Parts: sequence; structure tokens; C-alpha cells
Amino acid sequence: MEQSIPVYREEQELSNLALADRATEARKLILDMAATPTGCHVGGSLSAIDLLVVAYAKYGHDKSTSVILSKGHAAAALYAALYVYGKLPSNPAESYGKQGSLYTGHPNHKLPGIPFATGSLGHGVAYAAGWALAQKLRGTGGLGIAIGGDGELQEGLVWETAQIAQARSLANFVYIVDCNGGQNDGHVDDISPIRNLKERFEAFGFAVREIDGHRHDAIFSAITPDRERPLAVLARTVKGKGVAAFEGNPDAHYAKIPANLAKRWKVNLS
Amino acid sequence: MTTTLSGRDAYKDELARLAETEERIICLEADLGGKNHPFQSRHPDRFLNLGIAELAGVDIAAGLAEAGYVPFISTFAAFAALRASESVKLSMGYMGKNVKLVAPYGGVSGGWFGTTHHALEDIAVIQSFQNIRIACPHGEEETRRVIREAAASTEPYYIRLSRNDAFESLPRASERSCRDLLVEDRATDDRASLCLISVGEQATELCKKLAGEYEIVAHAHACYVDSQSLKAYVEPLKALADRFLVVEEHRATGGTASYLALLMPEHPVYSHNCGEQWPIYGGTHEEVLADLGFGLEPLRRQILSLAGGPDGI
Repeated sequence: MEQSIPVYREEQELSNLALADRATEARKLILDMAATPTGCHVGGSLSAIDLLVVAYAKYGHDKSTSVILSKGHAAAALYAALYVYGKLPSNPAESYGKQGSLYTGHPNHKLPGIPFATGSLGHGVAYAAGWALAQKLRGTGGLGIAIGGDGELQEGLVWETAQIAQARSLANFVYIVDCNGGQNDGHVDDISPIRNLKERFEAFGFAVREIDGHRHDAIFSAITPDRERPLAVLARTVKGKGVAAFEGNPDAHYAKIPANLAKRWKVNLS
Repeated sequence: MTTTLSGRDAYKDELARLAETEERIICLEADLGGKNHPFQSRHPDRFLNLGIAELAGVDIAAGLAEAGYVPFISTFAAFAALRASESVKLSMGYMGKNVKLVAPYGGVSGGWFGTTHHALEDIAVIQSFQNIRIACPHGEEETRRVIREAAASTEPYYIRLSRNDAFESLPRASERSCRDLLVEDRATDDRASLCLISVGEQATELCKKLAGEYEIVAHAHACYVDSQSLKAYVEPLKALADRFLVVEEHRATGGTASYLALLMPEHPVYSHNCGEQWPIYGGTHEEVLADLGFGLEPLRRQILSLAGGPDGI
């Protein structure tokens, strides 16, 4: 039940600068996890990290709101975001992927701040809708927020959930799609294109907002729920954002990087 | 005269009754709850037909459970255990969310509906996920008790029911849980030569009849068949007999007999089950079972064979 994320500052005090600092620190942690012996899903983590950092900034203090990373392969981003908000008991990069560590390659619900173990795509979207449904029934005003990927939209479960969300008029359900254009084996457009995405969600009865998924002010504003309909936020992002060698490179979906490179790229981030 | 309800009708009625005093109970359906659902008429604000979306339905139930509700979600066993299998594995098994999955049309109780609507593999699937209580109640009263036990528990539940079979449950003392092995009274105090272990409605009816005919045969009814419950049955079973014949409307593979055999390696555990064939023919529930070699006379022959023939019994 308890899943509130401690906030860094009161919402009124938040500034783009504070968010930017936090996102930068989180990106460094992601690179540290990519530099472990196991490596990590670095490309999708770097594309999603701004969405996570802003979502926790805006709603992390609200116990009736749940933020779920449905594209669970970006676990490094989730751990990094939770860590920079002081939610995790230890630096995830120090034990990521190791024997006996709860920092597994997909989110581990045994960790604080992670109520649902995602990784098999689509389930986190449905879980978040269930949370939203509970809050609607209780009249708490809380939200169910799912952050998914555009490749994940190929899963039928996503559309089952969208169907139910509109049927139940879940105006407190916010579905953020990290549209980085990539998936495991290459570009989404080359494998199974998701055409007319805005129109698809609109046809499912969603309000739709399209934003630059790396602009914190735009994210902060866009993830405010619609008054009447479930909301899809189509966040245009860059896979590997922040690391020139990764940006837009589908091979950055999963990577292990040498420690010296990670160190240099972290300096560049700063 | 009061009419005995089928398990699935007993479920709906009992849940609606429980919800009078337990506000956390919420009833979800995947478009197979039927019209005039008593929960819908008595608690419309907590009745949600989510539509034909079983995979999403179980995950949504997990979200409701995390928020403090006690969601009961129902669809046919084939869709609950097989179509929604991954959601059940993750939300209920791995994460242990307090979801109650109620599955009528267990086994081949759908009769002439055909193989798409049958579930002879569900217990194997759910049992392998661990941490999910599996109940196969027999008759109206036991079904009602299982629903009450599920509502009072924080554990995830899979409750397998039949379609329209309506049986009187075996008598059980009010203070005893359905998790306790239910042993039918016998005419003798002698140790049984063979103990029948019944799982599910049709199996329990068969065992009632045959145990009553053969004095050296005992009958223990197992309402719960998850791995934890089966472990708890081991010592009570050993006190009854040295040899066991599990009767269950399920495949041989992954059934209750398989796991009991592992738990009691020093005791022979046999199985009367639905075999390896697909149920391709129509008919009533009993007729489809008969086509699969499951029924009174095949079971009688198996008992006699294990006893060394009619003389042995």
C-alpha cells in the first residue's frame, strides 16, 4: 500500500534547474549500471529518465497516486530515479545485477517504491489502470500513471487496457508513451510500425498530448490528467539521450560499456 | 423445498451476501457472469463487467488489491488459468496480490461447448506458479465456505468450479476449515486397504458412491490442492491407508496425484484422471467424462484391479 516517494522539495519550489540536476545525476547512475559486468538497457533508460524524474517530482508525494514503469527493461532508469529522490536504501549501481542483489535487470517489487514487477510488457499499463480504478471508486483524486514504450504498443494487453480505461471513463489514468522509436531488434518503424498513434488513442477515447519527452516543463504540464477522459501523453524522445554515441542508435538498446568510457561520458553530462 | 445451487450460482450469491458487511469486496466479470447477477443487482457500484479482456482484468484486479480492495474476478477456467496465465503468474503467484480468481467451467463441465471451453490443465498450471491457494469445492455449502475463506484471507486464490452441477456437499463440522482433509465415516475401524482422494465435484460424487460400496476403501475429500495444502494432508493420509488413488477431473500430467506421489515416496499413489486424449465429442458433462475414460465403472474397475480383483475386495 505504501508507495509514496519522498520529495526533494515542495512542488511550488520545483524549478527546471532542480529537475535538470536530478535528471543529470540519474543519467550518471544509468551509465554506472551500464558499466557493470552485466550492462543494462541503457538506450531506453536514457530516453525515459526525464519522464520518470518529472513524474516523481510532480506526484511522488501523493500516496494516492502510483507511478509504474511498464517498460520494465528500463529498470536502470527506475532505480536511478528512485535513488535521486532518496527512496532506495543503497546506490543501485553498486550491486546492480549481482548475486544476492535486489537490483535485478527488470524492476523488483521487493524494493521500496516499486509496487509491481514489470518487464513482461503490457502488464504495468493494466496494473496502473487498476490502481486508477480503485482511486476513482474511492474518490481520492489519486492517479494511476504508466510509463510505457512505443515498442510495447505492439502488445495486445495495452489495447485491452485502453479499451477498459475508456469504457470506465478513467480520467485519472495517465499513460505516458516513451516514443524513442527503438525496440530490441531495431527500429519500431522497420519491425511493426505504430502508425497514426495520436489518432489511435483518440479513437480509443483518450485525450492525447504530444510533447518533447526531454523538456521538463513540457512533461510537468502534460501529465496533468484530462478532466473527462483517460490521457495518453506521447513523449517524443531520443534513445540514448545525453550520450552522443548512443543517441538514436538502436544498438544502444542494451549495452555494456567500459568504466573509463562511463567516466568520460559522465563528465560530459555534467 | 430449497433448491441446491450450483457452485457458480452459490459463488455469486455468497459473494453478494458477504459484500453486505465487507465494503472492500469488489466483483469483476469478463462478460461471462450472465444476466441477473445477484452481486450486480445488490451492489451495482462494486460490480464491474470489464468486458472480454482476461489478461488485463487480472492485472487490473492486482491494482485494485494493492489499493486495499478485495477483488473477486471470474471467468471460465480455460480463460482464467490459460489465457490470463501470465498475469496470474506475475500478479498472483510472484507478487502475491490479494486477487481471488473464480473459475467456473472447470474440467469438461462445459460438456458440449467443446475443447476451447474445457480446462483439464488448469491445476497443473496454477499449482506450478506457487503461493496461490487452489480450491476445488464440492457442492453448494463447501463452495460458500471457500468463498468466505477466500474473502477473509489475504492470499491469492484460484477457485475452480463446474458449470451447472448442483450437489449437496459432504457434511463438515462448522468449526473445521475447508483446508482440513475431509474423511468420510466408514463402517469399520480397520485400516483401509486403499484410500480414495477426491478432487472436485464429479470426482467426489464417484468416490462417495464407491467408498460406500467397499468396506476396505476409505474416502478423503481434498478441497484445497495447492502445494502447501497437499503437504498438510500427508500425515492425515498416512494415518488412513498405505495406498492411495487420487480421483480428479484433470490431465494425469501435473495433477494432484503427481505432487502427492512426490510428497509420499514410500506410498503408491495412483490416479483416475482424464487421460491424454482431447475431448473432441459433445455430450453432457458426464458423457464427455465417459469418453475420456473417467466415470463410475472405469473407477470401479481400477479399484478392483488395485485390490487384486473382486476376491481381494
